[in-house]
Amino acid sequence: MPLRSVFWKCLHDQWRAMLGWSVFAALVPGMYVALYPSFGAAGSMQQFMDQLPEAYRALFASTGLDISTAEGYLNIELFSFVGPLLLLAVGVALGASATAGEEEGGTADLLLANPIRRWRVVLEKAAAMVLWTLVVACAIWVGVVAAAIGFGVELPFDRIAAALVDCALLGIAFGGVALLVGVVVAKRMAAFALAFIVAVVAYFVNALAPLVEGMKDLRVLSPFYWYIGNDPLRNGLEPAHVLALVGLAVVCIALAAIAWERRDIHG
Amino acid sequence: MTETVVRTHDLTKSYGRSRGIIGVDLEVRQGEVFGFLGPNGAGKTTTIRLLLDLIRPTSGRAEVFGLDAHRDGLAIRGRVGYLPGELRLYGSLSGKELFSYFGHLRTRPDGADAARIAETLDLDITREVRTLSHGNRQKVGLVQALMGRPELVILDEPTQGLDPFVQQSFYRLLEEVRADGRTVFMSSHVLPEIERTCDRVGIVREGRLLAVESVSDLKTRALRRLELRFGVPVPQDAFAAVPGIRDLTVDGVVVGCSVVGSVDALFKAAVAFELLDVSTTEPTLEEIFLAYYGEASDAAA
Repeated sequence: MPLRSVFWKCLHDQWRAMLGWSVFAALVPGMYVALYPSFGAAGSMQQFMDQLPEAYRALFASTGLDISTAEGYLNIELFSFVGPLLLLAVGVALGASATAGEEEGGTADLLLANPIRRWRVVLEKAAAMVLWTLVVACAIWVGVVAAAIGFGVELPFDRIAAALVDCALLGIAFGGVALLVGVVVAKRMAAFALAFIVAVVAYFVNALAPLVEGMKDLRVLSPFYWYIGNDPLRNGLEPAHVLALVGLAVVCIALAAIAWERRDIHG
Repeated sequence: MTETVVRTHDLTKSYGRSRGIIGVDLEVRQGEVFGFLGPNGAGKTTTIRLLLDLIRPTSGRAEVFGLDAHRDGLAIRGRVGYLPGELRLYGSLSGKELFSYFGHLRTRPDGADAARIAETLDLDITREVRTLSHGNRQKVGLVQALMGRPELVILDEPTQGLDPFVQQSFYRLLEEVRADGRTVFMSSHVLPEIERTCDRVGIVREGRLLAVESVSDLKTRALRRLELRFGVPVPQDAFAAVPGIRDLTVDGVVVGCSVVGSVDALFKAAVAFELLDVSTTEPTLEEIFLAYYGEASDAAA
C-alpha cells in the first residue's frame, strides 16, 4: 500500500484487520440465511416469538415480528441487531483511534510537524473510516446473496442493499461520534467506550420509548430510529432519515476537525 | 546581513502551577547552530513545541522565518525538520516506509537523501521500527528530521540513546547542515555536547531564559572542579589568593576547589609544593548555573 497521504497510511494500517472483519461479517449473516430453510420455516419459532412480552420483542424489531418469510426473518436476525453491531464496531473503532491513536501513541507531534493541517488529518482519517464501513457492508451483502443463492432462499437483493446502506450510515454516524469524542478525550479506549455507550442508549431509546406513555416522541431523536424506523428492508431508503444519519456524521467530523485545530496537542 | 530564523517575543506558556515557560525572548540567526541548554523540565520542549504550533502560547508570540508560528504554520513546517524529544514512531513501518510517508506529506519525497543520511548513521532502513533498539529508533528520527535538506532543523535532545560512535556521525551531519548555511536549533541537558556543536547557547532554567552567550565566551569562563594531591601538607591559605578560585577546601595533602576560566594561576601556586596528582571533574549543570547565574536562578526559583 503506497504511503502517499494520511488516508493511504490509514488503509495501509487497517487493511488486514478490515479484511478479516469483512470475512467474518460475510459469514455471520450468510450463516443466518443458510439456517433459514431448516429453522425459520418450521413455524414453531414464530409461535415462540408471538408469546414474547412486548418490551422484549421491541428490542429485536421495530416493525413486528414476522419470521414466516425469509425477509422478515432477516429483518430480525440481521438488521435489528447483528448487522448494526458489525458496522458500528468498524465505525466506532476506527473513529475512536483516529486522532486519539496518534496522540496516545505519541506520534502526533511527529506527524503534525509535517506541513499538513490538522483538520485535513481528521478528514482523511474520517474518509478511511467511511470507506471501511462501506466495505464491510458490501461484504455482508455478498455473504447474504451468496448464501441465498446457495441455499435457495428467496430474498430481495436490491432492498437488502438499501437496508445495508442505511446500516452502514448508522455505523458511520457513530464513527463520527467516536472521532469527536476521541478529539476531546485523546484516549482511544475511552473514546471507543463512550461512543459505544451513546449507541447503546440510542438503541434502547428507539426500541423502548414507543412502549412508554409520554416518551413516544423521544424515539425520533435516536439514530437507530433514523436507520430502521422506516423499515428500509421493506420500504427502501427514506431520504429524510438518510439525511439525518449523514448529517450527524458530517456535524461530528466537522466539530472534531475544528476542535483539534484549536487545542494543544498532547505530547 | 544575517537573517533571524527564529524569534520569540515574551513567549509564555502556563500549565497550571509548574512547567511551562515565562517571557522567553529568543533569537536564532540564519546559519548558526544554536544550543538550548537546561535541565529536564526547564521548558526546552515546551518552547520547541510552540515554534511548531503543536501547542499555543498563553501570551507572547513566536516567529519562524519571519512568519507567525500559528497563522503561517503550514508554510513554516514545510521548511523545518524536527526530531521530538520523546520520539515515538509508527512501529509497523520500516524506516524506508516512514521516510516515504513523510516525504509525501512534505511534497518532496526524496528517498535518496534519506538513504544517504541513514547510511552515514549506519541504519538499516528496511527493518520494521518495532524491531529496532532505542538507539536505532533515534537514528530513524534523526534521518526524517534531516532528510530533504530543511532550512531549519529543530532537534530536541538529539543524542539521547546514541552510542558515542554514532554521536560522532551525528556531529558530522550537523557540520554538513552548517556548511550549507542552514540553521540548527537543538536542545540538550549536557554542556559538553553544546560546547562541541554549537555557536551560541541559550541557557534556560525553570521556564526562564537566563542568558544567551557565544560558546567561545562560555569556554573562556569554563568552570572546572579540581582536586590536587600533594606530597606534603599545604598551609590553609596557600591558594586563597588565586583569582577565580571558589569552594576551596584544604585537608592536609588534599586541596579541592573550583576554578572559573584559566587554571594557570592555580598551577603556578601549586608548584611551590610537591604536586603528586591532579584530577578534574565535569561540573553538573546545577553547579554551572550556580556559578554563573546564581542570582538570576535564585530570582527564578
